Amino acid sequence: MTAMPTNDEIALLARQAGLDLKPEYFQELVDAYGNVRRMIDRIPTGRPRGDEPAHVFVPTKFLPVTE
Amino acid sequence: MSDLNFLTIAEASRLIATRKLSPVELTEAYLARIEALDHLLDSFVTLTAERARAEAKAAEATIAASGPVSRMHGIPYCLKDIYDTAGIRTTGMSKLLADNVPTRDSYCQERLAAAGGVLLGKNATWEFAHGGPSWDVLFPPARNPWDRDYSPAGSSSGSGAAVAAGFSPATLGTDTGGSIRSPAAACGIAGLKPTYGLVSRRGVIPNCFSHDHAGPLAWTTEDVAILLQIIAGHDPEDPGCADVPIPDYAAALTGDVKGLVIGVPTTWLEDEAPPSAPTKAAFEAALEVFRSLGATVRPVTLPPLKQFDDAKKTIAVAELFTIHAADLRTRPDLFGASLRYRIIAGGLVRAEEYIQAMRQRTDLARAMQAVMATVDVLMLPTNEPAGKLEPIPPASLFTRTSFTTPFNVGGNPALSVCSGYAANGLPFSLQIVGRLFDECTVLRAGDAYEKATPWRDQRPVLVAKETA
Repeated sequence: MTAMPTNDEIALLARQAGLDLKPEYFQELVDAYGNVRRMIDRIPTGRPRGDEPAHVFVPTKFLPVTE
Repeated sequence: MSDLNFLTIAEASRLIATRKLSPVELTEAYLARIEALDHLLDSFVTLTAERARAEAKAAEATIAASGPVSRMHGIPYCLKDIYDTAGIRTTGMSKLLADNVPTRDSYCQERLAAAGGVLLGKNATWEFAHGGPSWDVLFPPARNPWDRDYSPAGSSSGSGAAVAAGFSPATLGTDTGGSIRSPAAACGIAGLKPTYGLVSRRGVIPNCFSHDHAGPLAWTTEDVAILLQIIAGHDPEDPGCADVPIPDYAAALTGDVKGLVIGVPTTWLEDEAPPSAPTKAAFEAALEVFRSLGATVRPVTLPPLKQFDDAKKTIAVAELFTIHAADLRTRPDLFGASLRYRIIAGGLVRAEEYIQAMRQRTDLARAMQAVMATVDVLMLPTNEPAGKLEPIPPASLFTRTSFTTPFNVGGNPALSVCSGYAANGLPFSLQIVGRLFDECTVLRAGDAYEKATPWRDQRPVLVAKETA
């Protein structure tokens, strides 16, 4: 498992995300991010280059609408 | 209380079409019951009584002149308060949208209005259909009509409560990880998450674009089919909406499930997340009903539940953060604590992590469809019976496994129906899952089950409980 970032590292990530949080919200973020981090760490990586994600751009969806 | 409050859509529609029931009379019955009893449940956040009376009167005149235009003509309904309604506030239960009055209807509201439906109002939800139940948002949380101390689940909580309580025969909810099926299960009604893309989400406040589904809740599967017929169809303004033929859903309700092949995900139910003994017994009894009707049951193996949860929730937290980023940066105090906790860490998810989760979704969806190709439907419990209405630790969203989320990941249609009642009177639930765009088989199975069992004969008794 990836090492959980320190609070200082999370503060930096939060600033990069545009979040300037008061202390109680920062603690919420630290706790919530721990849960998210554990989920992310369980998702397989190391995939073939050509593996498409579940959403791809479908250009026909953006053709002009004709009545 | 009037018997009119407990007519199904199918019954009311027949009576209206034969001029034995007036839409005005029907609407007044619902408005009177809401007025008398919704203070017990808080299932509505906005009531549109005068508009409903005007729509009912107009419907009555049109039907008298030229007959009904649909089976919803003159039938009251309500909407989860994340469906845009022109001129009627749409709050998402959030202080951030306390004064939000859309100027355009959502696609589904357009369809229901065109079908002649009568809008009663807007239903309580969890904040932005994600964080809850909460006591620090715009309105109090809805309560379960079978027992007010219990939760109607979420996030379409007011929708489930309103239908079960006889406040409305029809409502629409949304389902990103189970938010139609869980309230349907908790409140003992029918709720369908259609195939991803079958119903337009245009004008619905997003939760997580890649997993959001709009769909109906009603007392019976037959009523769900009637509602689906109105709202299903291609909408070019929703880029996720599929352009597929729309079958006659009501015609699919033949009552015949002989030869139906039912898959049961035994590794989930026996190893990964075994249900409680009463829930397991209710599920086994439901399977026995299908066997008695001529269906066969076989075990199937799907990828672990945890894989579905991890992929979906990683994707969701990133999408949720993006949707609410501006407000989280500038006015985080206006979010309820539950929702804020559940979305704020999405700002720290890197693009690579989001895309790896989307790649994992591809694998899981393929695995799901491969299993579905070997059976007609899957069956499993939707949820355990409802728990007490009390704050849920927000971290539980990330840690608990769910029997509903995998079908948001796969995009498959999934119906929850009532499968009996626990010792404390709260409903059990059965989930029926179909192949992509095969709502007909799912609805046929749900309808056949309801007609072979007595569960639709029992309603919550709100007045008796309050006066006891």
